[in-house]
Amino acid sequence: MTHHPSRGRRPGRALLGVAATVLAGTLAFSGCASGTATTSASTPAADNATALLTIPREDMGTFTRNFNPFSPNAAPMTTQAIHESMLIYNPAAGNTVPWLATEWAASDDNRTLTFTLRDGVQWSDGEPLVADDVAYTFELQKEIMGGFEYLDSVTASDAHTVVFTFSRDYSPALYEIGQMPIVPKHVWEAIEDPAKATNETPVGTGPYTEITNFAAQSFTLGKNPHYWQPDAQHIEGIKMLAFAGNDGANLAAANGDVDWAPQYIPNIERTFISRDPEHRHYWFPPTGSMINFMVNTTKAPFNDVNVRKALSMAIDREQIVSVGMSGYTEPADCTGLSGSYETWKDASLQDSCDWIERDVDAANALLDEAGYPKGADGQRTLPDGSPFTFDFSVGSTSSDWVSVANVISQNLADVGITMTVDAPDWSAVVAGYETGDFDSGIVWSSNDPTPYQYYLNLMSPTKVKPVGEQTHDNYGRFGSADAQALLDQFAATQDEETQHEIVDDLQALYGQELPTIPLFPGPEWGAYNDSRFVGWPTADDPYATLGTRAPTTVLVLTTLEPR
Amino acid sequence: MRYLTRRLGFYLVAFWVSVTLNFMLPRFMPGDPVSRMMARSTNQLSSDQIVQLQRLFGLDDRPLWQQYVSYLDDMIHGRMGVSISRFPTPVVEVIGSQIGWTLLLGGTSLVIAALVGNLLGIVAAWRRGGWIDSFLPPVLIFVGSFPYFWLAMGALWVFGLSLGWFPIRHAFDDGLQPGLSPEFLGSVATHLFLPALTIVLVSIGGWMLGMRNTMIATNSEDYITMAQAKGLRPSRIIFRYAARNAMLPAVTSFGMSLGFVVGGALLTETVFAYPGVGYQLLAAVQGLDYPLMQGLFLIITSAVLVANFLVDIVYVRLDPRVRVS
Repeated sequence: MTHHPSRGRRPGRALLGVAATVLAGTLAFSGCASGTATTSASTPAADNATALLTIPREDMGTFTRNFNPFSPNAAPMTTQAIHESMLIYNPAAGNTVPWLATEWAASDDNRTLTFTLRDGVQWSDGEPLVADDVAYTFELQKEIMGGFEYLDSVTASDAHTVVFTFSRDYSPALYEIGQMPIVPKHVWEAIEDPAKATNETPVGTGPYTEITNFAAQSFTLGKNPHYWQPDAQHIEGIKMLAFAGNDGANLAAANGDVDWAPQYIPNIERTFISRDPEHRHYWFPPTGSMINFMVNTTKAPFNDVNVRKALSMAIDREQIVSVGMSGYTEPADCTGLSGSYETWKDASLQDSCDWIERDVDAANALLDEAGYPKGADGQRTLPDGSPFTFDFSVGSTSSDWVSVANVISQNLADVGITMTVDAPDWSAVVAGYETGDFDSGIVWSSNDPTPYQYYLNLMSPTKVKPVGEQTHDNYGRFGSADAQALLDQFAATQDEETQHEIVDDLQALYGQELPTIPLFPGPEWGAYNDSRFVGWPTADDPYATLGTRAPTTVLVLTTLEPR
Repeated sequence: MRYLTRRLGFYLVAFWVSVTLNFMLPRFMPGDPVSRMMARSTNQLSSDQIVQLQRLFGLDDRPLWQQYVSYLDDMIHGRMGVSISRFPTPVVEVIGSQIGWTLLLGGTSLVIAALVGNLLGIVAAWRRGGWIDSFLPPVLIFVGSFPYFWLAMGALWVFGLSLGWFPIRHAFDDGLQPGLSPEFLGSVATHLFLPALTIVLVSIGGWMLGMRNTMIATNSEDYITMAQAKGLRPSRIIFRYAARNAMLPAVTSFGMSLGFVVGGALLTETVFAYPGVGYQLLAAVQGLDYPLMQGLFLIITSAVLVANFLVDIVYVRLDPRVRVS
C-alpha cells in the first residue's frame, strides 16, 4: 500500500493532544539550554561513511517483522527501500521518473498499455527481474487486495515486455499500474497463503533489502548486493526507530539522534531548527491532498450552490492557515486543486473567481438575495423560517483541524450563521460522513498523479450513494452529469494536451458548482538534519518530497550521500 | 476451604461478565475496522478494496448471538485470532512480544513502590512526629499529585537530555541482540531506570500514607502495649505484631495493582518510547481491532481476577478471622 505521508498520518497525529502541548513546552525550555544539543557536525567523514540513515516512525510503538508489500500494515520501508515500482510520480515537481521500466506506451485505441522493463535489474537473491514477475504481481494483488477491475489481462510478451489490456477506457491506469510495488514470482509462488505471509526475509529489487538486525523497536536495512544502480547506494544502510506517538520522535529529532524527521513537529522553528540552524532544515510543500470544508449537499441549505459560495466567501483562509495550521501551508486557490496538481491548474482561472477571498459584504448580499434573510437579532433564517444553524464534525484528536473549525465558526458568525463545532472521536465522525448523517465537516480528498480520481470522488454521480448507505468516496454526495461526461472523455484519452483541456473544463465546472469548499492543500511534512548526510530534496531541487512513506522516498534514498 | 470455593465461584461469574462486556463494548463503537483504517490512511483505498479487506480480515456479518457463541468457544480454547491492526500477525504473537516489557516495567516499579512505601509508612508510624513522618508524606503526595506526564517529561529532560545519565528511549540500545549477555542486561537495566523511577515516584506516596495510617491505628491496640510491657525487642513488635496486622489493606491493594500491571502503562510508554501493551491497546481501540482488543481485555481481566484470588488465598494465611467466617 502506498502511504501518502501527510494523509497517512491524519488522526494519529495528535494521539495525545496534551502530549504535544507538554512536549512543546518542554522543548521550549530545553531550547534555552542549546549548549547541550548534540550536533554531530564535527563527526569525522569516515564515521559518516559507515553511518546508518536513521529515521523515526511515530505511529508504531513497536515493529512487527512483516515485509509483505500487499499487507496494509507492512513494516516501514517495505515499498520504499525493498520493493520498487515500474515508474515513480513525483508530486513535488509533477514529473514522472522511469524506474524498473524504461518506457511505456498506450495503444491507439487506449485499451492496451505496454511497459518495457529495464535491462540488468536483479532481485536481491541474484535472480533477474523478468516480465513474468510483473504479471504475477498483478495476479496476486487482484487476488489479495482487489482493485484493478478495469484490467482484462496482464501478459508477459517477452522477458522484458509486459502488456496490460483494459476492459474499458481508463487513462489514469498508467500511474496506478506503474506505481505498484513489484514482487518476485519465484519467491512468492512458493508461499502458501500470500495474503497472510509476513515475508520475514524479503527479496526485492530496492536499494536496501537486507534485514541486518530486527528488534521490536528498531531494525536496520543493509545494501542489496545485486542492486541495479550500485553507484546510488552511497549510504551504508537505514535504521528505523519505533515511537509510540509524535513526542518521542520529536524529542529524538530535537536531540539530533535522527537524520530525517517526517512527522508533524509543532512550532518547528523553535523546537527543531533553532538548535542547529546550519544543519537543520524543513520543507513543507503544499502537495498533500486538498483539505475541504465539506458540506452535505443532500441537505438544505447546502444543496443551494449560492449558500456554498456564500460560506466560501465568508471564511478567512489566511486566518485558517495561520491560526489552525501554524502557517505550515497556504490557502487554496480558485482551482480547488492542491499543489500536487500544479501542472494541471488553469492559470487563467487561478485568481479569477469571486468566492475564494474573504468578502463579508458579498457573502451577506448573496445570502440575502438567495432567500436567507437576516433577522433583527442578526441571525439568518432558512426560507422555511428555521434558524440557519448547523454542525461541523471533526475528530477530537486532530487538534489543528479543531482549531480550523473554530476559526470557520467565528467567520460564519460575522454573516449571521451559527456553526457549532462537534468534536467526538474520529470513528464517530467518519461513520457519520460515510452514511451521510452529518451537516458539514473537514475532509481530505484524493491525491493521485492525475486529478481524475479527485474529480471523480467529488463530482461523479456514479460515486453518489443515497443517504444511509455507506460510501467511502463521496461524503458530500454531490453529483453532476456534466462532470461525468468530462471524466469519461478524460479516461478515454492518453493525450496529455487533451487531458489538460478537459481538466481546465472540470476546474471551471468546479468553480461554478462548488461541490465542496476548498480550504488549503495539506502540507507534506518533512524535516532533516544534514550533519551526516547531504543531498536532500528542497524547494530549489524538488526531485522528491520529504515523506518517508511516499513512492518518491526511494529517490531520496538513492541520492543521499555521507557528508 | 469453603470460603475459597465460594470465592472461586464468584470469580467465574465475574469472568463471564467481563468476557461478555469485552465482546459487546467494541461492537457498540461506531464504524468498522476497515473504515477506521480508511480514516487513518484517508482515502487511499478504493471501495472494492475495502470490501476485499473486510473479507480478508474475516469480518463477521453473522447475527450477533452467533458471533457471541463462537467468540465464547474461541475464548475457552484460547484461540484469539489474527490481529487486524497488525494483520496478519496472530494476536497471541502481538501480545506475547510486548507483555514481557510491560511485566518488567510494571512489576519492577510496583514491587519497589510497595516495598519502599510500606517500609517508610511503618517507620513513619512508629516514630510519629519524627522527620520521616513530618517531612516525607507531604513531599511524596506533592510529587504524586503532579500530572504524570509532566513528571515523566521533566525526568526525561533532566536526567536523559541535560545530564545524559540515562538513555531517553526504548528498552535497550539499538543494535543489541536480546539475550543473556551482561551487555544486554545492563542496557535493559539502564533503560528501565527512568521509566520505573517516575512510576515509583507517583505511586509511592499512596503506599506510604496508607500504611502509616493503619499502623497508627494498630499501634494504639492493647496487644501492642502488652508486647511492649513484656519487654519484646522493638523490631519484633513492629514487624510481627503491628505491621503484620496493619498490612492487610496493603496486601489487597497490592493484589489489585498487580492485576492492573498487565494493562500496560500508556503514558510511560509514550514518553519513554518504551515497548508494552499500553500503546498496543490504544492502537487496537482506535483501529477497532476486535481480536486484539478482546485478547488484551481477556488478559487484563484474567490477571485482575487471578491476582484477587491470590490475595484471597494469602488473606486466609494472614488473617485467621477469614478462616473462621
